[in-house]
Amino acid sequence: MRSTTTSQQSGISADVAGVAATPVAGKARTARAAVVLAAAALLSGCGTPATPGPETAPPAPTSGAAVPAASPAPSGAPAALPDVPLRLATPAPAAPRDPAPRFLTVEGTTISMTIVDVSVSPDGAMEIPEAFDQAGWYRHGPAPGAAAGAAVVAGHVDTASDLAPLSQLKDLAAGTRVTVERHGAPALNYRVRSVELMAKDKFNGGSLFRRDGPHQLKLVTCGGRWLDGKQDYSDNVIVTAELE
Amino acid sequence: MRTSIFASGAVAIAAALAFAGPAQAAEGDAQLSVLHGVPGLTVDVWVNGERTLDDFTPGTLAGPLALPAGNYALAITAADAADATAAVIGPVDVTLAANGNYTAVANLDAAGKPTANLFTNDVSQIEPGKGKLTVRHTAAAPAVDVLAAGSAVISNLANPNEQTLTLDPGTIPAAVAAAGTTQPVIGPADVAVTEGAHTIVYAWGSLTDQNLQLAVQTIEGLHSAPGAVPGGRSGAADEGAAGQAIAVAGIGIAGIALLLGAAAASRSVALRRVG
Repeated sequence: MRSTTTSQQSGISADVAGVAATPVAGKARTARAAVVLAAAALLSGCGTPATPGPETAPPAPTSGAAVPAASPAPSGAPAALPDVPLRLATPAPAAPRDPAPRFLTVEGTTISMTIVDVSVSPDGAMEIPEAFDQAGWYRHGPAPGAAAGAAVVAGHVDTASDLAPLSQLKDLAAGTRVTVERHGAPALNYRVRSVELMAKDKFNGGSLFRRDGPHQLKLVTCGGRWLDGKQDYSDNVIVTAELE
Repeated sequence: MRTSIFASGAVAIAAALAFAGPAQAAEGDAQLSVLHGVPGLTVDVWVNGERTLDDFTPGTLAGPLALPAGNYALAITAADAADATAAVIGPVDVTLAANGNYTAVANLDAAGKPTANLFTNDVSQIEPGKGKLTVRHTAAAPAVDVLAAGSAVISNLANPNEQTLTLDPGTIPAAVAAAGTTQPVIGPADVAVTEGAHTIVYAWGSLTDQNLQLAVQTIEGLHSAPGAVPGGRSGAADEGAAGQAIAVAGIGIAGIALLLGAAAASRSVALRRVG
């Protein structure tokens, strides 16, 4: 349930202000202030062109593809002594994984938060850390710095009564620096390429969580309208960033 | 969640082949892997009378070999046989469906006689966050239990059957014991279950000859994505309400908007898209 009525409403105005400047608590503001600040927010944020990047035309999904553990086999009918990959089928340890991310900073915002590993909720959704000042990295997918695919880091857009730091994502300008610190590996600097909204009822997980294609960082939170009936927002805000 | 699949691994089980998975191979080819699970025997493998694997040694996994859907005769001979006529196993006729994924196993039956089994590999998408583990009994041994960390996760599995579990990813210390017992006859050995991958473990060899062991085949790329990214709690970041506030106030500052000219128009477009 949202709507603690007036304070909530003023909180929203302040939220818009917070995007343009610094986050503020839900103090009452004049309509004019809200307008000016909202206009600034539009200039800096919503005016950011949601440029369709290459990610809107992802490579053919490989989901469902049987990727051989060994090198690909030659295709075609068997000839005499085809070059069939061979390997000893002895049990092998799990493949080493890329270093996990541990901290997220976004230039020009108050986004400065711990990143924790997350998996999948029982309902099949990505897990999101309870704490509003933590982000979750989808640990089954590519990590920041991976050779291929999209590393997905997501967090709450709001708290029980106010905005969370990631509410600033929707207003990031292209070129904004995003820094991801990692466990046991150097930090990575990304630059924002685009900010997009994806309607939740048209959620394209295969695109967002792709495991192949060019490496990108996806910062995800909620956005759009709050739908009381669904107790959820209408959209996901997706920031796409690429390594410097 | 656990799913159990008991499928006879018998060769030419046409019914099972109807379960061939969704499209995964280019051109609709079937994918055939071959596992050598007969101890102490180096062989050649023949497909339709053509030598396909030369000097194939126990414990080796070959493939996958992309083959057009259709019927094939598989035969296994002593290494360096002149042709496939003097087969030690087969020839056996198998039907490979378009886009199917199969593993043909040369192995011992429960009584210790060399035979061959064609297994259909499940290459369907796996729910996000999970991995699949299939255990196939292809050893000269009675029915077995598979133990993970000491407790049975698969019970009473007999040659040439298989059973599949859907598990959280991780490393499982797996052991194989005679059904109803806990004294390992194989292992424990670490088996990696990877998210989005189907790990297939074969118990092979001979209990009598004390050379039981495990072989592992992994089929990757079966992952699926989470169905949503929830990130809202209270509606405090509602764009709709903010949009209303802007719209109402916007009447009051119409003059300002006019001064801003074309830029204002583009902003209102952006606003509608957001709201």
